Amino acid sequence: MTRGVGGGKGFARPAQGGSPPISTRLRVAVLGSLLAFAAAAYMDFVFAPEDSLQGPVQRIFYLHVSSAIAAYACFALVLIGGILYLRREDPRPDRLARAAAPVGLLLTSVTFVMGMIWAKPIWNWDPSKTWDARLSSTAVLWAVYAGYILVRRFAPPGRTAARLAAVVGIVGFVDVPVVHFSVLWWRTLHPQPVIETGALPASMLAAWLVTLLAVLLLTGTLVATRYVTERNRELAEARRDRHELVRLESAAEVP
Amino acid sequence: MTFAACALAVARKDLLTEWRSREVLPALAQFVLLALVVTLFAFDLDAASAARIAPGVLWLVVLFAGLVAFGRAFAAEKVQASLEALLLTPAGPVAIFAGKALAAAAVLLACEAVLVPGIGVFLGVGLPPLAVAAVLLSTAGMAALGCLFSALAVQTRARELLLPVLALPIWIPFVVYGAAALTGRAPQALANLLALDILVVVVAGLAARFVLDD
Amino acid sequence: MKPAIEARGLTQRFGRQLVLLDIDLQVAAGERVALLGDNGAGKTTLLRLLATVARPAAGELRLLGLDAVRQRSALRSRLGWLAHEPGLYPALSARENLEFFCTLHGLPRGRAVECLEQLGLTDDALRPAAELSRGRRQRLALARTLLHDPELWLLDEPDSSLDAAGRDLLGRLVSGRTLVFATHDRGLADELDARVVELRAGRVLDRGALQVVR
Repeated sequence: MTRGVGGGKGFARPAQGGSPPISTRLRVAVLGSLLAFAAAAYMDFVFAPEDSLQGPVQRIFYLHVSSAIAAYACFALVLIGGILYLRREDPRPDRLARAAAPVGLLLTSVTFVMGMIWAKPIWNWDPSKTWDARLSSTAVLWAVYAGYILVRRFAPPGRTAARLAAVVGIVGFVDVPVVHFSVLWWRTLHPQPVIETGALPASMLAAWLVTLLAVLLLTGTLVATRYVTERNRELAEARRDRHELVRLESAAEVP
Repeated sequence: MTFAACALAVARKDLLTEWRSREVLPALAQFVLLALVVTLFAFDLDAASAARIAPGVLWLVVLFAGLVAFGRAFAAEKVQASLEALLLTPAGPVAIFAGKALAAAAVLLACEAVLVPGIGVFLGVGLPPLAVAAVLLSTAGMAALGCLFSALAVQTRARELLLPVLALPIWIPFVVYGAAALTGRAPQALANLLALDILVVVVAGLAARFVLDD
Repeated sequence: MKPAIEARGLTQRFGRQLVLLDIDLQVAAGERVALLGDNGAGKTTLLRLLATVARPAAGELRLLGLDAVRQRSALRSRLGWLAHEPGLYPALSARENLEFFCTLHGLPRGRAVECLEQLGLTDDALRPAAELSRGRRQRLALARTLLHDPELWLLDEPDSSLDAAGRDLLGRLVSGRTLVFATHDRGLADELDARVVELRAGRVLDRGALQVVR
């Protein structure tokens, strides 16, 4: 109870001993993501063979599925962060959830756009003629986490925002399995998963794994950057609060 | 006092208030009928197309009527500042939430009692019984989620504005299974709806404490 | 004897704004304390912390020997909280308002009638709360606070809109009880034989930072 918003644990401290400062580690992560994406581009466009049925457009698959998985990972972070926050009111998991939500939203958008580009030549897809369950349910998922960000914006800042957003993040995640199983439930254009079933050739699988790694690395970098930004902002606010406290206390002593 | 007695007392209080003041129900009934009139003008209907769109109209009107019904559930307690008095009783936030959700579900049920025959009268087609069963089955889960988000929304600057944004996407699975109930896999779809109801009621019950109380 | 309230370093903020700063307060059992101060000095904020309807951003608070945050649910039904808004249900009669809270407290319904009588509301028992005058509504809210005979009373401007007879009633009601109340009226503090604690806004930033003046 004595822990104020953003108070106490988890603040940025000057780098100690051998570990490099956070900004350096973030730069390394950004560089690593770039290299991983270069490798993924090589794997996806050069190394992997062209699909005999779909032609070059099939290569969208690698990024499409990878960003979908990364988006789910972000929403899982929002869920876990929310649960941990509600249990112990620790500002750190809330900050993690706050950092992960917009990244998840971005990745959902990427998945969405990639899927539409892929679908256009393959199914001759046109939203006004063909309705796809997976497409609609991804739109739903997007709306849930857009709502999460709106709650954070409109709720009274601090503890109330963290508490209410945590609830939205937890309840919203209930939607995720429903979204996933809706594909199995509805006869739909969307192809059934090929990865678990082993229908994917080994070279394509390798390309996909490299892409997945690159996307996850980028996701981690983005979430970490946002986390550090939020932490620095809270730190600045706490510092300003302390100044204000000192001023108010000295003012109150005046008779 | 037991959980059930407290929840029922809260539900009874809300329904008695609604019965005496007659605020929400007449407005909702009129909303439902107007939505059907708009449907008549908005679509070029013949006997075949009316039968095809009737279940969709049913779902659309239920969703939007639900937003109105649930949006008011916690607004009054917040404005009258009576929620704090409730929270200081031994009833507990979950029982209070359950009572409010129960009353809101009853209001939505009353609304559906106008809507189902209304579709028969205005569109001139009978609804498939399975569609009606799916809507009735969904009412419990929709009320649990709707009241949760209603209690959440009144604490924000955006107030009622936030309720549709939060509730509609999370209600979609009800519509998905509701529509699936008409596709020849009805028993499975209805079973899924029931499972979804149970899941949602449990989750909303667990979350209610964190929404109602600081 | 164990103190009824032990508060150390209570701090509260709304968003970025500090409204309570490092408040220490000790109230002995059986003692009455009047919180005085200008508008915005933080009287209501402090009372809300003491009533456990809000939690402090920092500081420690023990009420009736229990931790106000960790043992909140065990503590709450022993508190009597009357906010600035009476928090009544306008469509319910005076007696129904009280009977509803009797149910939630697990008290027999007869207790409602007793409390109405004590506050001189017997003649108004069947009138809807919306039709009562403001003074009568305040009396009804006091009756609700009395229902479960709380050990610690927390009243926000209990004298608002009470007439002379109402003030006498209030004095009789709280005599010998442990009570913290907010008021603008020094006379009421004398009438209720209360120790005065003054809250004062910080001057520099013109924000509600306070210091307890003993």
